[in-house]
Amino acid sequence: MVSTLPVSLVESKARERAQAILDEGSARELLGPFDRFESPHLEAQNIVPQSDDGMVIMKGTIHGRPTLIISIEGNFQGGGIGEVSGAKFAGALEKALEDCQNGNLIYPVIIYDTGGVRLQEANYGLLSIAEISSAIVALKEYVPVVGIIPGKIGSFGGMSLTAGLCSALVMTREGRLGMNGPEVVEQEAGIQELNSKNKQFIWEMIGGKGRLKSGLVDRVVEDDVPNYIEAIESVWSNPTFANRTLQYEEFLSMLHELSLDGKIDPSVSRTLLQNRTKVNEIKYDTSNGKTASRGRTWFNVLTDHAPSISQAPTVLVADKEQDGKKFRYIAVVPDEGNKFYRARHGEFGLVEAWTVAKYVREAVEEDAGSKEKRVIVPIVDVPGQAFGYHEELFGIYLACSASVEAYATARQQGHPIVTLVVGKAISGAFLSHGMQGNRILAFDDDQVQVHVMSKKSAALVTMRTVEELEEFAKTVPSMAYDVHSFKSLGAIHELLQGINADLPSNEQLQQVKESIQSATNDILQTTDRSLRIRLQSPEAIEKGRKASIAVRNAINSQWK
Amino acid sequence: MEKLTYTFPANRPIQRKTHVGVVGSGDLEILLEPTKGEETVVEIRTGITGYSDTWKRVIERFMAQQQILASITINDFGATPGVVSIRLAQAAEVSMNG
Repeated sequence: MVSTLPVSLVESKARERAQAILDEGSARELLGPFDRFESPHLEAQNIVPQSDDGMVIMKGTIHGRPTLIISIEGNFQGGGIGEVSGAKFAGALEKALEDCQNGNLIYPVIIYDTGGVRLQEANYGLLSIAEISSAIVALKEYVPVVGIIPGKIGSFGGMSLTAGLCSALVMTREGRLGMNGPEVVEQEAGIQELNSKNKQFIWEMIGGKGRLKSGLVDRVVEDDVPNYIEAIESVWSNPTFANRTLQYEEFLSMLHELSLDGKIDPSVSRTLLQNRTKVNEIKYDTSNGKTASRGRTWFNVLTDHAPSISQAPTVLVADKEQDGKKFRYIAVVPDEGNKFYRARHGEFGLVEAWTVAKYVREAVEEDAGSKEKRVIVPIVDVPGQAFGYHEELFGIYLACSASVEAYATARQQGHPIVTLVVGKAISGAFLSHGMQGNRILAFDDDQVQVHVMSKKSAALVTMRTVEELEEFAKTVPSMAYDVHSFKSLGAIHELLQGINADLPSNEQLQQVKESIQSATNDILQTTDRSLRIRLQSPEAIEKGRKASIAVRNAINSQWK
Repeated sequence: MEKLTYTFPANRPIQRKTHVGVVGSGDLEILLEPTKGEETVVEIRTGITGYSDTWKRVIERFMAQQQILASITINDFGATPGVVSIRLAQAAEVSMNG
């Protein structure tokens, strides 16, 4: 045996990483550089595309076991997910799922190195991440999905939600895992909230070792190829998983006990996270009145002012019968008294995400034995996920993974999910609360916006001015914030006209109820419980998802 | 972004298609593909504008040394002439080892 230098994944490119992990000679790349599936949206913005769009899909074996490797190139556009790279990722997982359903197990391994959504393609990233998430949740019924975060970038943004969905996560000390990157938290919340330049502290907070000590990931390995392979093999041979996304009671209990009077140190948060357990009685302070919001308005009128069964004052939940069907309405609303001060204006924070997960899961459990699964209606009026220090420290990415998974599971088990967008539908908040719906309805209204990041932060990350971004958005609809641009991408089932979103009349309420009812019937007409329909709409086929469809067709023909 | 195209007579056909590099900061990706005929076409997309003279010299020098017959695609993200030359040499070497 010749002793060799460690083979580093951290220092390798995406393609080399995939090849290094797979058995020698077994690797076969799909949609490689010579197939020229590059982004159709970058040249228009003066950005040089890459021939594989920064996404490497490889089939092969590890110790003889059929494996699908998805490896993200962090050096190209920060590993950001655009339409093509997202479709390669989602499409490959969808094919793997098909194989698994046909009894040919193939084991997915995802090598993360990504800042999240590619801001130059914005809403394509959002759509892709919803599809990737859905596929991971479905695949976990058959095979473990292993995620590896070697660094240097780590895994951030919407992609961290998909990382949180993995059956097991392997990191290095170099890797970082969080939802909002430190620079963006600083931009949105100020330097007193988080100083992104304090690198040592950042790694303490969201680095691999800290995440391991918090019980949020499964393994931290030294950066050498055999270690990764050993870790993957050990996940496969011992498939007992932490199932963190199911621990909403534990997380909600821990969060409820927190005092946020001062900053909680990472060393303290690790102990709290590690020792999370369920407390029987959680009593929230609900004395802070009921801040008006569109989400609250629509929850009230749609449920006939039913009392919320949710413990948390920022999440409203009620069941309502209508025309012989049972509906569960869920809305996230503002609360000026929220202890989590970064989530006082309707943002989707830690408590909101875990609470949504809880009440979706409970509906699934209650209806498990019944043929008639209740319809779930996420009412979407969310200005974004909460950007804050404590949010990152306590793993808001995982909380969001939990709500994504709850909705995806509900849909896959036959609950019709009809998303109703009444206000803002932004970024990780929309991914976690709405984007897993079978059908999306939205009001045709100026205040209804869909996007991935505030203009200021997007400008910071892409090193452009806000004016430049607005100019690009005119020709690249996925970058625009208005609902018409989003509809042109093909994911909206119906745009509801003429609704006064703040003060609906009885006729308008009736119109909305009918649209929800008809969307439900539309879902129940077929047995398809996937998100495929978003690629089948006229808008999607004609223009909006052309590349997404072409990529999937190519994967299909190269898969074998 | 700027697009540049150069054409050279060439007589050493490459043995296999080759891909090196990434379109990352200070780097570039190069794709070499076998081509019929007697001309090597080099197509460049670069994020840095105004350096066509430098590109021309770097590519000319590479072609004078290597004479490889191939269809060459370059996607550049601000690589220096030195990095470009090294990547080209690397790609040429791999493409000749059929």
